Amino acid sequence: MPERFDVCIVGSGFGGSIAAFRLAELYRAAGETPSILVLDHGPRHQHTDFRQSMDVENLSGIYGLIQGEGVQIVVGNGVGGGSNFYLAASLRSPTETFERGDHRPEDGPDRRMWPQEITRATLDPFYARAEQALRVQRPTWKQVAKSGGLWAATLDRAGHTCDRVPLAIDLGRCIQAKWCHTGCIYGAKNSVITNYLASAEEMGVEVRPNLEAELIVESQAQPYRYVVTAWELDNEGPEPTRQPTGRSSEVECKVLILAAGAMGNSPLLMRSRPALPSLSGQVGRHVGINGDHIAAIEYDEQKVKELLRLPGFGQTYKGNHITTMTYDYWVGKSGNEWDGTRFTLQEIFLSTLPHILYDDGRVPSGEPSWWGIQKKQALSAFNNQIEILAMVEDTNDGEFLAAPPSGGAIRPNAGPLWVGTFNYSPSEQTVRAGEAADAAIAEVLGKAGLGRFMKCTFRSANAAHPVGGCRMAESKELGVVDHQNEVFGYPGMFCVDSSSIPTSLGVNPSLTVSALAERACQLLIERSTDYGLPVKPAGFTPGVPGVHLGPHTEPVRRTSDKPIDEKVRHYEDVYP
Amino acid sequence: MEQLRQGADRGRFAALLSRREVLQRATALGLGALVTSALPAAEHIFVSEAAAAVQLSDATLQAFADTMLPGRKALTTDLGNEIHPLAIAGVDGEPGAVEADALLLYHDALIGFDALEAPFLAELSARSLTRGAAFLNLVFEKRVEVCLEGLAPSNPTVLVWEAAAAVPFTAFLAAGEQPGATIDTSSAYQVMGYPGAAPDGYAEFSYKRRLATELTKHGYLP
Repeated sequence: MPERFDVCIVGSGFGGSIAAFRLAELYRAAGETPSILVLDHGPRHQHTDFRQSMDVENLSGIYGLIQGEGVQIVVGNGVGGGSNFYLAASLRSPTETFERGDHRPEDGPDRRMWPQEITRATLDPFYARAEQALRVQRPTWKQVAKSGGLWAATLDRAGHTCDRVPLAIDLGRCIQAKWCHTGCIYGAKNSVITNYLASAEEMGVEVRPNLEAELIVESQAQPYRYVVTAWELDNEGPEPTRQPTGRSSEVECKVLILAAGAMGNSPLLMRSRPALPSLSGQVGRHVGINGDHIAAIEYDEQKVKELLRLPGFGQTYKGNHITTMTYDYWVGKSGNEWDGTRFTLQEIFLSTLPHILYDDGRVPSGEPSWWGIQKKQALSAFNNQIEILAMVEDTNDGEFLAAPPSGGAIRPNAGPLWVGTFNYSPSEQTVRAGEAADAAIAEVLGKAGLGRFMKCTFRSANAAHPVGGCRMAESKELGVVDHQNEVFGYPGMFCVDSSSIPTSLGVNPSLTVSALAERACQLLIERSTDYGLPVKPAGFTPGVPGVHLGPHTEPVRRTSDKPIDEKVRHYEDVYP
Repeated sequence: MEQLRQGADRGRFAALLSRREVLQRATALGLGALVTSALPAAEHIFVSEAAAAVQLSDATLQAFADTMLPGRKALTTDLGNEIHPLAIAGVDGEPGAVEADALLLYHDALIGFDALEAPFLAELSARSLTRGAAFLNLVFEKRVEVCLEGLAPSNPTVLVWEAAAAVPFTAFLAAGEQPGATIDTSSAYQVMGYPGAAPDGYAEFSYKRRLATELTKHGYLP
């Protein structure tokens, strides 16, 4: 006999945690205890569990590096999902994103990619709600990292504008260590485990880690609609195998919210298709990487001093990961004739590891140039390099070929390298957009005369922003969910996460995932009785989740960087 | 060190595998034609050097790591593990991937490279033997030629080579075998000028002045 909850939520990243919090508010307002269960396939992390380390054992517990054919995608693993490891850039996507058409015949042609109900204007109130909950604030110029400042100064010298990027970070608490990517050890970054999800749990939502939803079938016991089978994963203890333990459980629910992300929802639905025959044929298709296209710049420190009158650089490792970006390659391109040509350029520190990807500057080019003696020597200039993330208008070129035997990806061992059952083959538009971004960065550098462009020459794409696979659209023929994020043909089942996003966004996706989740929850709450959930009381208004740090350590910021700066300089002398 | 010992055990086990088994594994990954074409030479390798296979396979992996991210000559790694005297070509004056414990990472069960090791080394050997020697005995320039072939997009097994290449990069760039690595513990971080873990963060992280004209009011477009 399955265990019963009104609401079952699969996944606890931005989408799942927002749903948990907003629906818990409804129950509380109605005077009821929430009957809401959140399942997550990963372990539970407190922010005090995080470590500033990229060693493989640490990564095994927090990341999945999913190797698909033609692309590698990194996902967060654990309660809180990607929010634990995001770099906190929190941006509203420009108007043009939602008005985009697609020129490809299979989609129209010239079909508006988003449902007509979704526009920047309709999302703005939900963006605002998410910004409030995630405590988004814009750094002052005094808080902009040197790396971001250098990108701004470079753009300025080349005649371009550059904006400071709003961040979901408590900048008073942040120690500017550039270690968001393995989880903030002080809870300064506003991941959902410190706000939405923690507040939901405080209101009585139950969160169960280490449970992978494997199968969905329809329930025959109205008002219950769905039964989810979940397998337990061995994620705990000193030597977890991170494989199924053989134990499983079943949950029967009235409302099923799928929030396992673009790498999770599609495989789950594809595996369940025999039991859910009315699903759209689009499940697992149009998987994108948010137009992520990365490159790097190596600065000539002497020129930084001479031309920019800045006191040098050599400190790419300090400050927030993302602080500045330019919109100059986006603005002024309103209208569908520009679709597929726009992009933004953002300074970013992904981590040290992606530096495998960049060109070593070897001349003549043509051979693989991401390894060898020149590459090694380029890496010795690491601390004078910055990474640029171009977010281009690509065409969501990935597709799941089949569901893996369990979960969203095959895990050959207990480590962080997973194997995906999807391929990624960039379209001509995607390739052109990436080339345009590369050309723009190279042109900026040429004008500024400050350093050299380092192209990403790795054979396959690399991304941290998977979107789509269950994209929203006007009809079941074109997409998997409607504008309310409800699955076509399956009332009460929702995809409330990045999987529903049909296009790249031009900005980092977390805030748009959050805004769409906020909107989907509001619409669901307005129809709560249709699904057997509590009646929305008169005057019900959504609140703001609190900040829950739990047991924590207060950060002690250095008062001077002299000791570490001198040490870095010492090694520059030893290893010039 | 425990992991290294386990790696050595696996190396001994691999040495006991018959040549046929190794070739079957290689064939499974599409290396069959290449390996077969190099068979007479490969037979020589497998038979005459079987006794030294443990050291040979590990030394060859180190030599490959050194070709990906070359380093100075060294006899021990950051973590005190042994480096085969022939592995590092010594074409760079600074520590490279071998010194950053690439071999330990190759044998880390969390990476899972062991499943690819035999077919990878078979192809590496075959491509090396066409240049007259085992990979370990090739001069650096010849090692580069072998790797250019293996890592060429047209090579049907390029994915295996990329996996093999990713390991030394991870050892170097991410200090993959060093929990909480810092510039004090990681030779790679010293080369990069990267402090590593920084629980106290930084005070002087900003130029503290406006450095460009901004386009938007709030940081995002309307």
